[in-house]
Amino acid sequence: MPIKIAVVQFPGSNCDLDAVHVLNEVIGVECSLVWHNNFKEAEFDGVILPGGFSFGDYLRAGIIAAHSPAIEQARIMLKDGRPLIGICNGFQILTEAQFLPGALLQNESLKFICKWVNIKVENNKTAFTNRMKLNDILDIPIAHGEGRYFTDNLKELEENDQIVFRYTNQKGEITKEANPNGSMNNIAGVCNLEQNCLGLMPHPERASEEILSPNGTFYGKLFFQSMIDFIQKRL
Amino acid sequence: MNIPTVKDNETEVKVDLTKEEIEGIKDLMNREPNATEWGMFDIMYSEHCSYKSSRPILKSFENAVENYEYVLAGPGEDAGVIDIGDGYCVAFRIESHNHPSAIEPYHGAATGIGGIIRDILCMGVRPIALLDPLRFGPLRGNPNSQWLFKYVIKGIADYGNCTGIPTIGGEVEFDKSFENNCLVNVACIGLGKIEDFEHAPSEAFYPGDYVVLMGGSTGRDGIHGVTFASRTLTEQSEEDRPAVQIGDPFNKKLIIESTLEAVKTGYIRGLKDLGGGGLTCAVSELTGNGDTGATIYLDKIFTREPGMTSFEIMLSESQERMAFIVKPEGLEKVLDVFRKFETNFAVIGRIDDSKILKVFQGDKLVVNIPAKALSSEVPVIPRAEKRPKYLDKLLVQKTPELKENLDEIIYKLIASENICNKEWIYRQYDHEVGIRSVVKCGEGDSGVLRLIGTNKFLAASVGTNSKHCYLDPYEGAKGGLVEACGNVIANGAKPMAMVNDCNFGNPEQPESYWFFSQAVKGMADFCKELRIPVVGGKVSFYNENEATHTAIKPAPVIMIIGLIVGQENIVTLPFKCSGNDILLVGETKAELGGSEYHSVIYDMEGGNPPKVNETQVKTTWNFLFKLYDKHLVKANHDVNKGGFVITVTEMCFKNNLGANLDLTNCFDNSLRNDELLFSESVGRFIIESEPKDYEKILKIAKKNNVHVIKIGILISSLEINITGIKNSKDIKLDLNKMKNLYDFTIPNIMEI
Repeated sequence: MPIKIAVVQFPGSNCDLDAVHVLNEVIGVECSLVWHNNFKEAEFDGVILPGGFSFGDYLRAGIIAAHSPAIEQARIMLKDGRPLIGICNGFQILTEAQFLPGALLQNESLKFICKWVNIKVENNKTAFTNRMKLNDILDIPIAHGEGRYFTDNLKELEENDQIVFRYTNQKGEITKEANPNGSMNNIAGVCNLEQNCLGLMPHPERASEEILSPNGTFYGKLFFQSMIDFIQKRL
Repeated sequence: MNIPTVKDNETEVKVDLTKEEIEGIKDLMNREPNATEWGMFDIMYSEHCSYKSSRPILKSFENAVENYEYVLAGPGEDAGVIDIGDGYCVAFRIESHNHPSAIEPYHGAATGIGGIIRDILCMGVRPIALLDPLRFGPLRGNPNSQWLFKYVIKGIADYGNCTGIPTIGGEVEFDKSFENNCLVNVACIGLGKIEDFEHAPSEAFYPGDYVVLMGGSTGRDGIHGVTFASRTLTEQSEEDRPAVQIGDPFNKKLIIESTLEAVKTGYIRGLKDLGGGGLTCAVSELTGNGDTGATIYLDKIFTREPGMTSFEIMLSESQERMAFIVKPEGLEKVLDVFRKFETNFAVIGRIDDSKILKVFQGDKLVVNIPAKALSSEVPVIPRAEKRPKYLDKLLVQKTPELKENLDEIIYKLIASENICNKEWIYRQYDHEVGIRSVVKCGEGDSGVLRLIGTNKFLAASVGTNSKHCYLDPYEGAKGGLVEACGNVIANGAKPMAMVNDCNFGNPEQPESYWFFSQAVKGMADFCKELRIPVVGGKVSFYNENEATHTAIKPAPVIMIIGLIVGQENIVTLPFKCSGNDILLVGETKAELGGSEYHSVIYDMEGGNPPKVNETQVKTTWNFLFKLYDKHLVKANHDVNKGGFVITVTEMCFKNNLGANLDLTNCFDNSLRNDELLFSESVGRFIIESEPKDYEKILKIAKKNNVHVIKIGILISSLEINITGIKNSKDIKLDLNKMKNLYDFTIPNIMEI
């Protein structure tokens, strides 16, 4: 059976087609765009919640989508050990659905920020980072207005190795200047205890092709290749 | 001014029509129209919808569809469309939302974006990029300008980012003349298969087809937006704030997706957005273009509040609405698409062959107008034009004798609001969504997008220099074209087509009208000569301050679309390698009029502005493309505000390079030092090339009769050393200091 990935399209998703393109054309796996009300977990081996402004981010970013039937389907997949990644708005949805700990608040600058940043790999055992090396520095773009990570359980997250990425400078130092949005302890991405669910603010789908990177890199590919490896090992 | 009032249902309707127009309308109707009908004529006859002041002048643009094989849609359509090969077409358009933004910057700018997206969408193609040319009063020490600047950008960012359309470029000018009339121009590019475009004509040709209204609900907002935009802003304009619409980008995103999916069904036979003029404009154009009629039932329309009158519904400019003409057999299929996306819709009527537009509210026939009466050409109002006398004085202003050190002047220029880094703006725009942005904001003179599925790339740029246009609108408008084309050429693209947005003062003032007429003539002459089709445009008049009666500096904003074939042919702005040559392409003349140097150092507006020599421009462009073919150009940046030292500086920043410049060879004429360094002569480029190619390049230059001088070499230390200046000591510029001045001008003003 060929591997099948779903990108869930909520009303207001806008990085959905980008993710589908990368999976289909760059990674070369079968990936479909699925309307949130029609998403059936049984048909897929892995799922991507894309970036955007689901339901206009009205009320609070991600909260309405967190009540979509797609989330119940995704819950079944997670329990079953299949991989789930939430990118940007997808991350916001995952925290609102309480699949992941913490919350994403408005950027410290109170402004939307679109730029390439550096992140450091702090856990390479997850379903989406197994192709990376610990402490690797990746360059990757962010584009969000509400990406300031906050948790009141920092200690637990650290003890459980749930912090997957932190914003750093080019040398890999975790500094205030390297923190684009004021996230607690420079946290850029976290995973669940089982490590098959990852949420992050940066956009791997925008960093998967050399032509799109100002530095000629394509670290984003590693996320999706890791996911495919993870799925293949399960099968 | 004639303001007839009409009474209907106890409502008094004021109409912005001339006596002649009123008589003409009565003749056309063979009776006295009722209030709703008056209202409909009123908006269709507004400057905004009818171009009644500008049409005679705009005729000087040649017919793009007739004269250029690859132009699929030209002026008069919602957007210009060109065939780019491989079965794809590109639609693009530029619009202005100046008046609304001046009184309500956030929603004014946001709905400007909303409107331009709809214009592209109704061509049946996917909007893939936005660009925003903006103009404000100077920011420093001016809280009102800062307020407008901050919220216009936030409005654009919030709306554009949410719809998932990247804002890939723009330009901004700061000048006192825009203090009370900021200019917010918005441009959008769409990409689609040619067949998608063919499925979405703005006409209703087949009797029996259904008229479906989809999207936002119809409310009382934006009533008479177009007539408000066709007047000068006054103190009382604050009261017009309800005429500014409120946008809903989330709804727009759904409308984009559902419209594109509906077009794909193949059952759509006509498509039109509801923008200025609302339902009146949409339905009358659809039926007028198709030479049909329609019956519309207002009770079907989903309104935001009960009790709206027919007048209000027909004139509402509520945002986020589209009108579809649907084949009867496909109606359910199309409605299913709307149901999936949970967008509101209503089947509001049917097309017939009566050639009459009939509108019912309940059983009552409230509108009964021949369809063509609204959509056919409104009688032109001839406008007088007169060259302003004050120009004579301005043009002969002399540059004062140099008082300051040249290095101090350069530091001041790089920090000027018009030259400094615009990162504060574009960081707020999602410029990468859609994963097409190859040359991103800040990395090139234009935004470059890849066209997935082809080996082609689209380059887009917007711009004009209003200070130049103020002194000489004819040459200034041409100069704007040279610059906008130069921007895409600097990235390796061939200019394919242009659209423009003419922002001027009150056309009833002969002096304002003269600026408009001269600028259009300049653009038309240039485009004819350089073979660039003009595929669309927009005119925004009445941009003037009522208190002082001063108009804005003329701003014929130009948008150019260029095409690059093959990734290897993309050229970027930053210098690449220490040891390489720095060449100045094009001739520098004593043209300091309207320069940033005059403005920043002497607070002076006059002088001799740059002139355009089309032959020279043409040979320079051909020369560059010859170099590109041989891959001899490592970096390219067009010379613009502040002169070529500023250009060199900007190219140094990204890769931490410096430059040794020797200007000895530049003084073969009678140029003063400041003229050489700060002149804004148009059509020049700074290119980087390898020393081994120098002779080859010179040979090609000579053969093509292009002026090329090697002005220096790249070095690895962060400084620019300038030698060979006449009777003056050498200049040493600290690039770290330059970078700080360049980067922090806007943040230091805005981040308090």
